[in-house]
Amino acid sequence: MTTQVPGDALVSLKAVNKHYGQLHVLKDINLNVRKGEVVVVIGPSGSGKSTLCRAINRLETIDDGDIKIDGVELPAEGKELAKLRADVGMVFQSFNLFAHKTILENITLGPIKVKGVSKGEADKDAMALLERVGVGQQAPKLPAQLSGGQQQRVAIARALAMKPKVMLFDEPTSALDPEMINEVLDVMVQLAKEGMTMIVVTHEMGFARKAADRVVFMADGQIVEDATPEEFFTNPKSSRAKDFLSKLLTH
Amino acid sequence: MDVIIENLPQYWDGFLRTLFLSVVSGIIALIFGTVLAAARVSPIAALRGFSMAYVEIVRNTPLTIAFFFAAVVLPRLGVTFQQFEVAAIIALSAYTSAFIAEAVRSGVNSVPVGQAEAARSIGMKFSQVLSLIILPQALRTVIPPLINILIALVKNSSVAGAFYVLELFGQGKQLANANGDVVMWVLVGVAFFYLLITIPLGYLASVVERKVAIAR
Repeated sequence: MTTQVPGDALVSLKAVNKHYGQLHVLKDINLNVRKGEVVVVIGPSGSGKSTLCRAINRLETIDDGDIKIDGVELPAEGKELAKLRADVGMVFQSFNLFAHKTILENITLGPIKVKGVSKGEADKDAMALLERVGVGQQAPKLPAQLSGGQQQRVAIARALAMKPKVMLFDEPTSALDPEMINEVLDVMVQLAKEGMTMIVVTHEMGFARKAADRVVFMADGQIVEDATPEEFFTNPKSSRAKDFLSKLLTH
Repeated sequence: MDVIIENLPQYWDGFLRTLFLSVVSGIIALIFGTVLAAARVSPIAALRGFSMAYVEIVRNTPLTIAFFFAAVVLPRLGVTFQQFEVAAIIALSAYTSAFIAEAVRSGVNSVPVGQAEAARSIGMKFSQVLSLIILPQALRTVIPPLINILIALVKNSSVAGAFYVLELFGQGKQLANANGDVVMWVLVGVAFFYLLITIPLGYLASVVERKVAIAR
């Protein structure tokens, strides 16, 4: 495991537990993510990795333990929580663009309504972001008129428009047709290069190798391994990870 | 047939009053019903409880009771009105908003949960999530049932005729008493003027529905 200085962490989870009824989905999770670090979370389905990702901006509540963003503990509910969420970008598996708003409005809504940015400025920033993710042409369209890959890139731009401290990706390419996966991953790799702090739940091993600083392997609600991609892919320590990787590679 | 033409001024007067009752009550019910639906999904338990109790009680009792309450009970409690129209509007909007609330709530439930999660994840407060993301989408999907409820409201306004309001049905009753030999034609006239409101409403529904439909 890589050594961590807790005070240095932008995102820190300490002894986090969560149950769904009888099912113990998160078991004593400890994780620190430093500023600028890209952490890829992988593991078999049902291992709790999505739940972990969603717990970080409290879309899932936890039973005990604590989660801190930039040294601040996640508030329970209300205004404080909303404020903190504005600093944590989230990209969902199913894009979740606002269906009744244009692409441009999808990007500007947060800055205008949450941050109080003027419409002119928000529009200008939004167009720059849309150009950056390669969908500037689509600005006046509605989400349903775009392909999945384009929608997901817009969703990334929407999160970036809030100028977040950290970006969470919850299986961002799992709902995409194979030929669209790369256009989304390219945007994410670029983002990683620019120094964004990222926590990425994914099945894309290529992305993990290319962009991750650390790979966290989860199984049955526990973090089983936490290593560099190089270490993890060439020399996994646990039998669970070996088993998982062998299944991936045989196909 | 002649009886309709001869009494056009009465019909017209009743028609306008029915239209007035329907439009005013309809607007109040749309607003209050939407507020009730919002309360029903709010994180505050007391609001949810109030909304649920209101809808269950009002929706499951006859409109006539709402009218009795507004026209007879309220004045005895000290709430008096100069005109019976006010009581009619209170009764109609209180009654109709319970149905509006249920329709809007079903619309809210039809909006995928990811829409609210995305809105929350960019830092919106509950009130913003509701007013900017959920309700605009919910209302679009429930236009057909909402128009149904409004059509029912137009017809329900005839109950006001029994509570001293000379709307379309009230006028019809008077005309029927005065023209006992041609009651059927009097009622045909009444029906015609109701259709003059309700049929365009149904047409409006299909136009609006097509226009605001959201593709997913």
